Amino acid sequence: MTRRPFISISIRRLAISLLLLSAVTATQAQMKFFTLQKDSIPLFRGFSVSFDLVGAATLALSDYGQYEGALRINLHDEWFPIVEVGLGKANRDDEVTRLHYKTSAPYFRVGIDKNLLNNKHGKNRLYGGLRYAYTSYKVDIARPELSDPYWKWDAPYDIRDVSCYYHWLEAVVGIDAQIFGPFHLGWSVRYKRRIAHSKHDFGNTWYVPGFGTDDDTKLGVTFNVIIDI
Amino acid sequence: MRKWLFLLGLVFVVSCSTIDCPVNNIVETRYRFYDTDGDSLVLADTLTITSVRKDGSEVVLNRKIGCATVPVPISYSHPEDVLVFNIYNSEYSIIDTVWVKKDDIPHFESVDCNASFFHTITDIRYTTNFIDSIVINNPKVDYDKTTIHFHIYPKVSD
Repeated sequence: MTRRPFISISIRRLAISLLLLSAVTATQAQMKFFTLQKDSIPLFRGFSVSFDLVGAATLALSDYGQYEGALRINLHDEWFPIVEVGLGKANRDDEVTRLHYKTSAPYFRVGIDKNLLNNKHGKNRLYGGLRYAYTSYKVDIARPELSDPYWKWDAPYDIRDVSCYYHWLEAVVGIDAQIFGPFHLGWSVRYKRRIAHSKHDFGNTWYVPGFGTDDDTKLGVTFNVIIDI
Repeated sequence: MRKWLFLLGLVFVVSCSTIDCPVNNIVETRYRFYDTDGDSLVLADTLTITSVRKDGSEVVLNRKIGCATVPVPISYSHPEDVLVFNIYNSEYSIIDTVWVKKDDIPHFESVDCNASFFHTITDIRYTTNFIDSIVINNPKVDYDKTTIHFHIYPKVSD
């Protein structure tokens, strides 16, 4: 009967010790993650500019896509604050539904990438990062010559110049390989998640500049031509 | 690293797209019959409803019998629909006209989905030969198949 309190105290002490140990380990790991590697390389390592070819190719080959460029700051080859700016466009006439959808608007993303490779100062990089993105855009949606199947009246279906906005977050994983000199090529894969958007009586918008075709979540990809400055 | 660069590129060349249109994409109104006690009423007589249209009239509900709820189409964008309810059996045939006033809202899901209209019913008028009264239960007309928009109370026969 008298042993039980001692056992419970021991278990409690063990649990607290383990919690403290794990907290200290996690904090140390976090600190290590955020601390710059100690070496003789300076903090500011320059800029790079990039242009996405996937968005431009999509726009050239289909009826929606975007032109997108980015400016990235290199801090010690480890941290890379980045601003991405683009112009998203959609101009689609669907052959089956005969719906016409048109929008064209700029968008931006701001965020930061971290070089995840052990050798930070090598020629190639593996990135992990986060972005916040926003766009404000207007849409035109129309369906010409829509006739009511029962009543046979002409039904004007014309949603014009409706203002919309969209906020979203992106988790990014990317690779960047030096081809020669300051010229790099790189892929990035993005998981996009909508966090807020405008709501309208008519329902959803279809293509959102910078985000793609509307959905709560979406995967995206970019192929970047990168030049170090 | 360069190998990975091109391998990853190859993986993402293969992509797919989906079309997410609603499975139930019929926008129509539903009328449910009630007796004077407020209990759901199954029609013993035959009901035919015709719409008054641009080029005449057309049957939108044909010879319905033994039902408590009837679906009735709603026009895309005409401000007021005119419906003729004909209730009949071997002994009599009674006609009532119903006017449904509404606001029409173009509805868009995706360019891959057909254009449709949602509606908000603002008023209903009717003649009272067979119908005692019609009450708007829910004014919102959309894809929801479970919504009953109107409660119809027929006159009690002596």
